[in-house]
Amino acid sequence: MARFHPAEDVLLDYAAGALHVGARLVVSTHLASCEVCRATTNLADAVGGALLDDLRPSSLSADALALALARIERPAPPSAPSFKGPHDWIRVPDEVANAYRSRRRWAAPGVWVAPVTSNSDGSRSYLLRVGAGMSVPLHTHTGDEMVLVLKGGYSDGGRLHHPGDFALNDASINHNPRVLADGECVCLIAADDTLVPLSWVGRLFQPLVRI
Amino acid sequence: MNATIGIELARSLGLSRGRRTSGMTVSTPPDKAAGATMSACIVRIADHGDRDAFGQIFNYFAPRVKSYMMRLGAEPNIAEDLAQDTMLTVWRRAQSFDPGKAAASTWIFTIARNLRIDLARRDSKPSPKPDPSDMPEAPMAPDDAIDALEDQSRLKTALSRLPPDQAEVIRAAYFSDKPHAQVAIDLGIPLGTVKSRIRLAFARLREALSTEVD
Repeated sequence: MARFHPAEDVLLDYAAGALHVGARLVVSTHLASCEVCRATTNLADAVGGALLDDLRPSSLSADALALALARIERPAPPSAPSFKGPHDWIRVPDEVANAYRSRRRWAAPGVWVAPVTSNSDGSRSYLLRVGAGMSVPLHTHTGDEMVLVLKGGYSDGGRLHHPGDFALNDASINHNPRVLADGECVCLIAADDTLVPLSWVGRLFQPLVRI
Repeated sequence: MNATIGIELARSLGLSRGRRTSGMTVSTPPDKAAGATMSACIVRIADHGDRDAFGQIFNYFAPRVKSYMMRLGAEPNIAEDLAQDTMLTVWRRAQSFDPGKAAASTWIFTIARNLRIDLARRDSKPSPKPDPSDMPEAPMAPDDAIDALEDQSRLKTALSRLPPDQAEVIRAAYFSDKPHAQVAIDLGIPLGTVKSRIRLAFARLREALSTEVD
């Protein structure tokens, strides 16, 4: 059961279809395991339905219905094979599981990344695996970054983030998240900007310093 | 510039609920009865592959989905293609519709929205993708299956009674294809104000749905 959730304005953007594809994926992964937020997006979907219902109808081309009736006679294409994420993750969409299966790259000792989506507007999403106890030096963000824990956990500003927990980091945040000491942490991350290549993202992490 | 967009947005979003002056042969009975008919049609498609039921759904929703796409900036021919694709998806996935959990309009809205997102995605990156309407939709929360139609009609009433400033940001989110942060800039309203209007609007809508239930 997640303790940290997307704010309502993020859920509204999700339901309205206004999030970029990577952010959308992060929010939908959170929703898959969060009943509370699902109730909100169900409400927001119903708002969308009500607004659709109230729109003034546009005229269609004369043969529109005939075309539709012809199209429904065609066989549906076979649905794409679906993959599941590892059993010790929270449930993830196919797209995320596919990235895990086929696009993991070690970026630094203890750290791998797997790009999931990239968009022409510069936004992207990726999986990030970080070894137990590793941390990132104090930093901030140029754009918005959404983080969802899929496995393990990290601490950030005294708060512990566990599987299903959502975080939105922006330029107002200065933090140095640290992976919990008891095991690896895998997160799904969506970021607005592409200033830093993914391979560098991995190198930002420092191993646990034992004194 | 911003002011112009603001006025334009406010006008195009139509804070007053537009009357259905349809040139089509569709009659428009009161909301709830129409909603019940539409839900029943989707069930008939699911159970019997009923083509007459499909025709009714098509006549009612395809022109509205086209309008929705045009509101979001699609050219009329693209908007009509998307309306066609939406209706095809309604036919193929009718079994996944649960009339106890969502109104027909809600279900069709989510299909249309997903197809639009998919199109934008294909335009921005030429990569073959599996049908994104197969993207797993989050399942409905179990305790929300009260009475979808009753909910929908109450929701409409609540929407029409929202204070204009709240209605404006809500409608802008659905019809401007931009995150609320951008909407705030376009409307010339501070982001914090937009966020709080969204919160207030959601609180009112929730309240509208929770009263009279028990």
